[in-house]
Amino acid sequence: MNSEVRGFLEKHDLLGCIQCGRCTGGCPVAARTDLNVRRVIYESIDEKMLDKISKLPHIWDCTTCSTCAVRCPKGLKPLEVLIGLREVLVESGMVQSTVRDALESVFQEGNPWKKPRATRLDWAEGLEVKIAVPGEKVENLIFICCTVAYDPKLQDIARNLVKVLNKAEVDYGLVGDSEMCCSSEVYSLGEAGLFEMMVEDNTKLLNSFAVNRMVTISPHCYSTFKNQHPLLKMESVHYTQLLSKLLAEGKLELTKGVNRKVVFHDPCYLGKKNSVFEEPRFILKQVPGMEILEFARKRERSLCCEGGGGKMWVETESLKERLAENRIKDARALGADVLAVACPFCILTLDDALKAKGLEEEMKVVDILEILNEAVG
Amino acid sequence: MKMFVCIKRVPDTSEADVKIDQTGKNVDSSRFSFGINDADNYAVEEAVLIKERRGGEIKFLCIGPKDSDVVIRMSLAKGGESAVRIEDPRINQKDPLQVAKVLAAAIKKEQFDLVMTGCMSGDDSNMSVGVALAEELGVPHAAMVKNVEILDGKVRVKRELEGGLSEVVEMFLPAVITIQTGINVPRYAPIRGIREAQKKELNVLKLEDLGLAEEEVNEAGSGVELLKLYVPVVASSAEMIEGTPEEKAEIIAVKMVKGGLL
Repeated sequence: MNSEVRGFLEKHDLLGCIQCGRCTGGCPVAARTDLNVRRVIYESIDEKMLDKISKLPHIWDCTTCSTCAVRCPKGLKPLEVLIGLREVLVESGMVQSTVRDALESVFQEGNPWKKPRATRLDWAEGLEVKIAVPGEKVENLIFICCTVAYDPKLQDIARNLVKVLNKAEVDYGLVGDSEMCCSSEVYSLGEAGLFEMMVEDNTKLLNSFAVNRMVTISPHCYSTFKNQHPLLKMESVHYTQLLSKLLAEGKLELTKGVNRKVVFHDPCYLGKKNSVFEEPRFILKQVPGMEILEFARKRERSLCCEGGGGKMWVETESLKERLAENRIKDARALGADVLAVACPFCILTLDDALKAKGLEEEMKVVDILEILNEAVG
Repeated sequence: MKMFVCIKRVPDTSEADVKIDQTGKNVDSSRFSFGINDADNYAVEEAVLIKERRGGEIKFLCIGPKDSDVVIRMSLAKGGESAVRIEDPRINQKDPLQVAKVLAAAIKKEQFDLVMTGCMSGDDSNMSVGVALAEELGVPHAAMVKNVEILDGKVRVKRELEGGLSEVVEMFLPAVITIQTGINVPRYAPIRGIREAQKKELNVLKLEDLGLAEEEVNEAGSGVELLKLYVPVVASSAEMIEGTPEEKAEIIAVKMVKGGLL
């Protein structure tokens, strides 16, 4: 065994797996793809197989939702084995061209969408917004997210956050145009080298701000900064955590009624990965006129929208119904007219699914911030 | 196989807002993203594939400022041995014939089997450098190549023509080939590979190192003078000419004479 391969076996504790099957049993994509992570773990024990397994298309079906890790009785992380296999393919350079483009874009332009760095703050044009200055003390550093900053469908979420923060007179400052990708998806896509580089660069950049708390819009940014940036000097917090606190303290008031039946979809990177379940619900309960419904598959059992794990840049081979479409059907079955989310990837995939099902008249997919913007008046 | 691949760092203008700058002869590039010229990227991949199949050496050539280094290192990471970057403010990069002179000066110093360039750059779109380069080097060339097959002392290529037709051309080596996009699927250069590539040789040269006189390659020495760059005004003024071919011909001829074109 060479030392690199010995590392794989030990790093993922493959021999610790008891082959109980709880991972595959809970895997949301196993129902619609050939992915069987239990078998992948078993076969990966033989180092001669790693190269071959790394070329299988279904290792790219994993959304890194963490259901497997949550369920594993041995505390293993099967999703990390799949990411490790993706790393083998990435190092060979032979990844799908969409993956290649996203990774090159993060390296060259600080975002995976092939957009120029220079236009990162365009969404804020005309808006009264505060940009943090390195070294100048501020209470909350705001990290917007590449997807929210550049996607015209999502830019309103950033504007809504700024409006709500302004209304509540919160002391905040945006990272601004030096903001660069949190690289949660770079990690999920298996580009460990680029991820390490971005962690180093981001730690340096963010630590230059005199702040104790950083607030993110995306659960992916929140999770990556919280769990994978050991030298980051500040607390990483999701916006639902900050805003629920402000509501509880009476610093934010919701005066306008929003008379809708809303069901909240727990994002995997907020719920399963970081156990944040209460804060989004608390916020929705404060909105006058809202009737709160709950999915049967809620909290840790939330059904992954298939937006994470690099899936924004990888197409699955499966033609079976997407999980997001399944989720839309469940929301309609509950009688919801709003499906509330708190993650940009969830919005994109669920909104696409809503359109695919032709249900745009009956229901809307919105971020909690859009509801708040209506409710603050 | 000793191969040279010419690469260029260009802006990505697919979605960018292109505005003319104050000089009226250039675009404002402050809000662009930059990367390797698309067709050049395919040429890099083709060279690496040839090297993987037959062995050999690849040297990258690039005319540009220090910003171009990242594009050079990414290419080296994919499978090059060394690179030369030519940086000299005197070089007129807008004239493809002069660009070809500069590249030829760097290539002539060494023995080579094959030179590859992209068929066209994403910014200037002249489609001329590769072809002019072949003339400067005194070797045969084939442009818009979609398939490359190395034979004994020769290369057989398929050129892409209009209408989806393919022309098969065989040339003696050494030769120059300009590569059309879509010939292969360019690989990804992982960061670890790019880091390794930092150790590879990258020489930066000036005109003096190439034995070129300023007058040969500067703006004054160009056969073409750029007068103005502008966004054409969108207007519509189309007159449909009716009649038999003979009637149409007469009407058009009258218009051309009256319009001062003949």
